[in-house]
Amino acid sequence: MSFVQRRRFLWILFLTGLALLAIAATATTLSRLRFEELANQATAVARVRCIGMESRWQGAEIWTETQFEIVEVNKGLLPGVISVRMLGGQIGNLHSRIEGAPTFRAGEEAYVFLWGHEGEPFRVLGWSQGTFRISRDARTGVERVTQDSSAAPVFDPRTRQFRHSGIRNLPVAIFQLKLRKALEERTP
Amino acid sequence: MNVIVKQICASGLALFYGAWCAPGAQAYSFGMIVPDVRQPAAISGGSACPTRTHRLTATGSIAVRWSTALNTSPVTILTQNQTASGRLTEIEQVIAQSLAVWTGVSGTTLVPSTVAPLTRTATQNACGPDGLNSICFDQADMAFTPGVLAFTRVITTDRLGIQVGSSAVSTQLGQILDADIYFNPNDSNTAYATPQALAANPKAYDLESLLTHELGHFLGFSHSAVWSAIMFPFAPAPGTFSGARPTTLQPDALLGDDDRTGLRVLYPDPADTVHLGVISGRILPANPLALPASPPGVTGVFGAQVAAVDASTGAVVGATIGGWSCTASGPAQFDGTYEIDGLAIGHSYNVYVEALNGAVDPSQFDNAIVSLCRNTVSDAGWPPLQGCVVPAVDISFTARTRPGP
Repeated sequence: MSFVQRRRFLWILFLTGLALLAIAATATTLSRLRFEELANQATAVARVRCIGMESRWQGAEIWTETQFEIVEVNKGLLPGVISVRMLGGQIGNLHSRIEGAPTFRAGEEAYVFLWGHEGEPFRVLGWSQGTFRISRDARTGVERVTQDSSAAPVFDPRTRQFRHSGIRNLPVAIFQLKLRKALEERTP
Repeated sequence: MNVIVKQICASGLALFYGAWCAPGAQAYSFGMIVPDVRQPAAISGGSACPTRTHRLTATGSIAVRWSTALNTSPVTILTQNQTASGRLTEIEQVIAQSLAVWTGVSGTTLVPSTVAPLTRTATQNACGPDGLNSICFDQADMAFTPGVLAFTRVITTDRLGIQVGSSAVSTQLGQILDADIYFNPNDSNTAYATPQALAANPKAYDLESLLTHELGHFLGFSHSAVWSAIMFPFAPAPGTFSGARPTTLQPDALLGDDDRTGLRVLYPDPADTVHLGVISGRILPANPLALPASPPGVTGVFGAQVAAVDASTGAVVGATIGGWSCTASGPAQFDGTYEIDGLAIGHSYNVYVEALNGAVDPSQFDNAIVSLCRNTVSDAGWPPLQGCVVPAVDISFTARTRPGP
């Protein structure tokens, strides 16, 4: 087998592995949404800055409404400030929690894939899958994007190695290119 | 970057651990809560050390009801038996079996008699913070979006003497007062099949796998980073199921060893003489200058994943999120400490570690980490000396594991 053939074979193996991984990665709480599906199904996509949050009882549940200032709109029409509502929060000595539901801190920036109906507060599409947090390297100033659902490494007992998947530490400029491409390719 | 290693320890390392009050980062993958130390010590315990969220395990103390209201358009719960009563019986068997998966683990105080007999309710919207643990298959809204299949909402308290609705009054810190499991009823692309109906519905999700995972949250688990664990956030593809189906001989077959170890840590049985092994240590940076300067006082790698693998079988018997410890009045200290408890003695283990080197703040995506600290910003009037800030982790590390004592 020539070098080119070997390389092609290894690429096929690699891509097959990726495809199998995508099929297997279906969530208990969440079903896997590919980046293109997130872009396609989102009502709006924006870079936002969290400006505050408040938990309150509503319909006999504790909900948290997070206020975001819009930094940049990538899809949809959005006002300057939006509200995102998620189940859970803290009121007094009661803590209502849901694993996988994103929470934010004031001042934090993220790209969020929003989903909702007119007249209702937005929700984050696919929860941790639709949350892409932005961090800035203190030394270089480079901003990077990491998807909540991919931030933690996973230990595979078969290979005895940790693995990473999803969007992780991607420079903002490259993320924007990827997002633009996904939005352009979305199904009509 | 990263790390690690194999190393080992603990051949017959039989260190007794003191369950709830043991110092060290025993975060495993549990929900954590910092007691409200603004309250008198008599009701807050006086310590800002994170406490695991958990259930009481006295006989009959966990009561579960389920709503028999099922969506018919689309049908989201698929059963083999198509009669009205047969469908309900089949679904109820799955719920009972999923509970039995957790109560079937040896070496814990969570035993079959801990769970009261299942009850039914015809109320469609039976789930809510009413002190009744409920499972709902057709409750609308509840924050679902496309891609969200099911979730568990858990209500805990950070002091004693609190109740929700008709729940028992909290007598332990971190006690779960109410937990409800919601399945998405409105997604026409999503259906859940009982084990009997799964083969005929290969595009449906295995109801038993999903329910067992959600019941893990119901009992106090957070997510696991181990691929084979039922508490791994991502379940098998539609048409397949986790692990092996439970049997009379092995009712916990659906679980991974990591789940079993976690349950033994969360609900330790004082009479258990087998799972007494502990592997502990600290994860330290090769270059201490790489530690974050802010918040102050970070002396070890925080948020690292640590996995213990049985050297002879290759099974992942325990995994945890390490990087902190806590003693006395707290708060949590971010010194790189990790501890894996509940390991069978007489075995050898390899330890694998990987620092969470993402440029994100890990406190944002996991309840096992998000609740390690409270401070004057998050809670008005919080005592400054018992306040802390969860550090961000943004540096590559090289770590070594040293043998235990």
